[in-house]
Amino acid sequence: MPEIILKNVAKRFGKFVAVENLNLNIESNAFITLLGPSGCGKTTTLRMIAGLETPTEGRITIDGKVVFDADEGINLPPNKRDVGFLFQNYALWPHMTVYQNIAFGLENLKWDKNRIRTRVNELLKMLKIEQFEKRYPSELSGGQQQRVAIARTLAPGPKVLFMDEPLSNLDAKLRMEMRTELKRLHRDTDSTFVYVTHDQLEAMTLSTRVCIMETGVLQQYAPPLEMYNNPANLFVADFMGNPTMNFIDGHIKADGSIEFGGIKAKFAPTSGSQPGDMDVVVGIRPEYIHIDEEGAMQGTVYSTLPSGMETTVKLDVNGTTLTAVVFGDVDYDVDSQVSFSFHKAAVIFEKATGKNVAKGKLIV
Amino acid sequence: MKKFLSLMLALIMVLCAVPALADVAADIEAGQAMTHEELVEKALAESGTFVAYGTTSRIKKAAAAFSEKYGIPQNSNNMKDIDIYDKIANENVDMVMIQDGAQLLGAIEHGILANFVPASVKDSISEHDQYPLAHQFTNKVFIYNVLGDDVPAIRNVWELTDPAMKDRIIFKKPTDEQVNMNFLVMLTSPEWSARLEEAYKEWKGENIDLGSYKTAGHKWIAEFLPNCVFGKSDTNIAEEISQETAEGKIGLFVLSKLRSSSVYAENLMPAQYAASAEGYEIKPFAGFMYPIYNMISTNANRPYTAMLFIEYLMSEEGFSFWSDSIGAYSGNSAIPEKEGDLPLSVWKDTLVVEDPEYILEYGLDVEDFVGPYLQ
Amino acid sequence: MEQTQTGKIHLSRLKGRARAWFSKPANIILLFFLVTLTVLTLYPLLSMLTETFTVHLGREERATKLSIGAFTTYHFQRVFATSANDYSWIQFYKPLLNTLAVSVTSSVFAILFGGVVAFLVTRTNLKYKKFVSAVFTFPYIMPSWTLALFWETFFKNVNIGLKTSNGIMASVFGVFMPEWFVYGFFPISLVLGLHYAPFAYILIGGILRNMDANLEEAATILKTNRSRIIWKITLPIVKPAMLSTFLLVFASSMSAYSVPVFLGSPVRYYVLSTSMKSLMNSYKGQAYIIVAVMILFGVAILMLSQKVTNSRKQFTTVTGKSGQISKINLGKANVPIAIILVIVLLLVAIVPLVTFALESVIIKAGDYSLSNMTLDFWIGTGLEKRLDQGDSTGILLNPVVWRALGTSLALAITCAVIAGTSGILVGYGVAKRRGSRLSNWVNSLSFFPYLMPSLAFGAIYLAMASKISWLHGFLLMALAGSVKYLPFASRSGVNAMLQLSGEIEEAALITGVPWWKRMLRVIFPIQKSSFLSGYLLPMVSCMRELSLFVLLVPTSDTILTTMLMQYSEKGWAQFGNAINLLIIIVVLLVNFTVNKLTGASIDKGVGG
Repeated sequence: MPEIILKNVAKRFGKFVAVENLNLNIESNAFITLLGPSGCGKTTTLRMIAGLETPTEGRITIDGKVVFDADEGINLPPNKRDVGFLFQNYALWPHMTVYQNIAFGLENLKWDKNRIRTRVNELLKMLKIEQFEKRYPSELSGGQQQRVAIARTLAPGPKVLFMDEPLSNLDAKLRMEMRTELKRLHRDTDSTFVYVTHDQLEAMTLSTRVCIMETGVLQQYAPPLEMYNNPANLFVADFMGNPTMNFIDGHIKADGSIEFGGIKAKFAPTSGSQPGDMDVVVGIRPEYIHIDEEGAMQGTVYSTLPSGMETTVKLDVNGTTLTAVVFGDVDYDVDSQVSFSFHKAAVIFEKATGKNVAKGKLIV
Repeated sequence: MKKFLSLMLALIMVLCAVPALADVAADIEAGQAMTHEELVEKALAESGTFVAYGTTSRIKKAAAAFSEKYGIPQNSNNMKDIDIYDKIANENVDMVMIQDGAQLLGAIEHGILANFVPASVKDSISEHDQYPLAHQFTNKVFIYNVLGDDVPAIRNVWELTDPAMKDRIIFKKPTDEQVNMNFLVMLTSPEWSARLEEAYKEWKGENIDLGSYKTAGHKWIAEFLPNCVFGKSDTNIAEEISQETAEGKIGLFVLSKLRSSSVYAENLMPAQYAASAEGYEIKPFAGFMYPIYNMISTNANRPYTAMLFIEYLMSEEGFSFWSDSIGAYSGNSAIPEKEGDLPLSVWKDTLVVEDPEYILEYGLDVEDFVGPYLQ
Repeated sequence: MEQTQTGKIHLSRLKGRARAWFSKPANIILLFFLVTLTVLTLYPLLSMLTETFTVHLGREERATKLSIGAFTTYHFQRVFATSANDYSWIQFYKPLLNTLAVSVTSSVFAILFGGVVAFLVTRTNLKYKKFVSAVFTFPYIMPSWTLALFWETFFKNVNIGLKTSNGIMASVFGVFMPEWFVYGFFPISLVLGLHYAPFAYILIGGILRNMDANLEEAATILKTNRSRIIWKITLPIVKPAMLSTFLLVFASSMSAYSVPVFLGSPVRYYVLSTSMKSLMNSYKGQAYIIVAVMILFGVAILMLSQKVTNSRKQFTTVTGKSGQISKINLGKANVPIAIILVIVLLLVAIVPLVTFALESVIIKAGDYSLSNMTLDFWIGTGLEKRLDQGDSTGILLNPVVWRALGTSLALAITCAVIAGTSGILVGYGVAKRRGSRLSNWVNSLSFFPYLMPSLAFGAIYLAMASKISWLHGFLLMALAGSVKYLPFASRSGVNAMLQLSGEIEEAALITGVPWWKRMLRVIFPIQKSSFLSGYLLPMVSCMRELSLFVLLVPTSDTILTTMLMQYSEKGWAQFGNAINLLIIIVVLLVNFTVNKLTGASIDKGVGG
């Protein structure tokens, strides 16, 4: 059960730094997501682990075997790393039929014909593409191509599977469907998945751990829910969750009294210690702002976005806009006055560094 | 739309209209009897640019001088005979200087070209050269490199058929220039076959055994051509044979190429020059000769100008553009050859001169016969 | 009553449909080019075919005993079925075999050489890439006879060919190359292959550059070794480009004339084009049959390549993240490969130029001593007296040369403007009505002139023009040049248009921008460099064209190339070499200037 360890890995193109000093420990059987905006270095990281890109520095170990070490001059080519790779644009070979595409990797392993036939049939069935066996890629829809690409990647039974935004070319409905199937696949194949995406929802829903990156630097590496609830810094907090977290500038004193957006409150930390006297940014998840009659604070409804399951409400509070999510099919009149309160936890970020300094309750 | 279409139609009709041909033949008829002055008067009365094409490059200089002399605008150019026929077929041309008499006879027969002999020079042109009018003769003669121990100073053309001469003779591929082919055709004529037979006997000391060959000419061709290497052009052949490294080589090419500054003329010797100097004969020929004819195109816009130009070319003044070098001989016997060259009469005796009638009659068969020996 | 009513409705509906059809500029353009190109390409072809059944002036009359213009099958009999004196074998079958051998070999060579260099440049970390890609198109820009002439002057020696003189290789280096290397099949194929290798470089390089590198990476991950990746993935994907190259090079090699003449004649190696040229003198009918056979081969290959590329295995070149692909590291082999490549390119692209420069200043051939050198052929005066050869002044002081240069440029620009603009319009029409029969027809018609040998094309145009009194001289040459080079322009036009999404024009259409403004303001600026390349290639080709114009020029000093031909026929080698060099320099300058000013390049013109 392969474990992947990245130690001080860096990649530079001339002066441009794509990935800087990356340390990552991917446990076996994990479903890891590399998440971040485009250009953050996530694809480069993935390609470095797969061997398609050569790191400038560092050391990569897969399943206890060193596949790359800059100091020792070790650099195993991709075909020696026992990995699978699913490309964003599928990279199906246009001149081969579906069958030939899937069988190609097995032929390289010198399997006999019957064994190949059996394995390809198994995959065709698993991915529900039996009827396309003799077609060429150009004769398939995007979703079908995607399945062929997955089948081709899975055929040799790789213990590590890399996926580079494999769902980004599909429409929303298909994407939902494929997510479910990928998660199931992870379970069924018993392998380690490393998955690149810029879609936080995909990262949240699919992975066992998320690695979030910005401009080549690792920001946080944690299970998705932990990352959601206790983001390491403003960047992570902002990136995770939709609608995004409310960020309000404020000031906290050593005694825990806090003032932000015209609201005076008391902060009681649940994790971390009480921060000292400093300028802060208060982060409150929209679903933790409850609109109810007993609420201690008042605001004006600026706009509402009801979706049936939930309604996103923008509130104007003393000139500060707060986003709240109310579950259920409720709606509010625009410009009406409502009361609200804070529930569960808020996160306090140090204004100067953007770092998470404490998580706790706000008592108004 | 309709308007546009009818306009286009009208335009196409106007553009396609072919100008009516003047009756050039009648003009020539009249011109034959005219004096120089009358010709000048008639020529100056014509309008448009005078167009003359020729297989010799010096036509441009001659036409330019002519144009200046009479104040007639001209457009002249040097091109191959085949291209000249194409030009005549496609545009108005007044006068041409052309080689390959056989082709020319056909053109005259079809009324494409017409013969004209100026009255002023008629008497000094031999009867034979008047129809078609030979302006000048060009000779292609055997010329060899004089360096080294194995100089091919031939005295008998049968020497060239010796297997030892393999790859030592440079000639232009006969199918590339018709006059070369004409030369080969002429060799199969009764006259030249007989002379070749005679020469063979002299060379070998025994009678010729023709085997399957029709004539001695056929036999000579069949044994001569395989010994040849084909050069790109006469100039190129002259340059190559004149090289210091070309010892033992002999060529059959235009004599006048000796004047080119790119040719090391001091390394070359025309076989007939050597023969004349030492008083022997090349048996039975030292090369071949063909006329360049002056002709009037029947679609001429300026027929009288064409006649005047022909008269000019046949005069000493007009021939001066050629007479400054060896290898050019005027059809007008009053004009002497270039100093140092042999007179036309000598060349006529020792060179194979083309006979258009014979070539027209038997040319096709001989050309077919020659084909395999060019491979 | 009722019937007339429905009749009227029917008619008005028809009218309405016609009006709708004609309201689309693409339709009008396609219709216009269908008619024009039919007249300008199919009509000449048909008139040429009738010539193959007609008796011509001169020897044909004698042979057939028929009069001019009469119908005859004599030509066909002679070309295909005359065994006496091996006539058909000599004139047709043997040259045909030689032609096929040369064309196939040169195509394969061009694909190999161009393809390998394209691969090295696009896919590896080869050194001196900039130099390689800058110089690689030189051999195509230079007239094809340039390399042949260079090959001969460089390698000839007293043991082979005319056996009269030594070239630089023998006289300077003392190396005497064998005959097969200098004359005949091998050098003809090699020189033609080198001349057309830029096609392969551009077409294959274009695909390699645009090809999604993920396709190869996917194979690597699946444990495919390098050679298997190249054979099973890379090659099949560049196959269409290889086929297009094959078509282009094959058709061009087949009709090439000067190269086989220079390198074949000395060893009696003849091909169809030389056979055609010599038959043209006295047996036009047979010559035209040979032209028809050449065209037939071209069409066959065109159809074959269309069939292969139109199959289900469509090659979409979706670009993935290939931008970040790391190039193959050539390692220790890098420098040696780079140096060999640079030397080869110097030999085929730079050394010929130096040779021409040298040959244009020496007085007598073969003597390279300083005392035998003069600049007279460039800037001398009163040469008639001193050199007894050629013109009286050096070419740079000769007003005729300058006039010819001007005419050549004017002709090249005219052809480029007409062909280039037509190419854009054809591209627009074809792309807009993609898939329709009309569009396919126009597309094929616009490529057809490429398959016609230049020499025959010129001959046919001359014959056609004889029926139209105003069509001669410059106009005729411009027309012939424009049609002959349309294929290049239409190819780049169609490619550029296909890359452009229809929505771009539709966005302008919605806001009511008239058609011509959409073309000028929207479409042209977006694909500017592709379109300009469609102008550049006809221009460059036109500047150095000889065979096409040789019959059409009013006088041989009208344009530079015919002037050059006349000079070399006269044996005025130094003037000839000087003019050759002048042509090459002007063409390179034009190419370079246009490239720097507009970004257009030969590459894009071929459709890379």
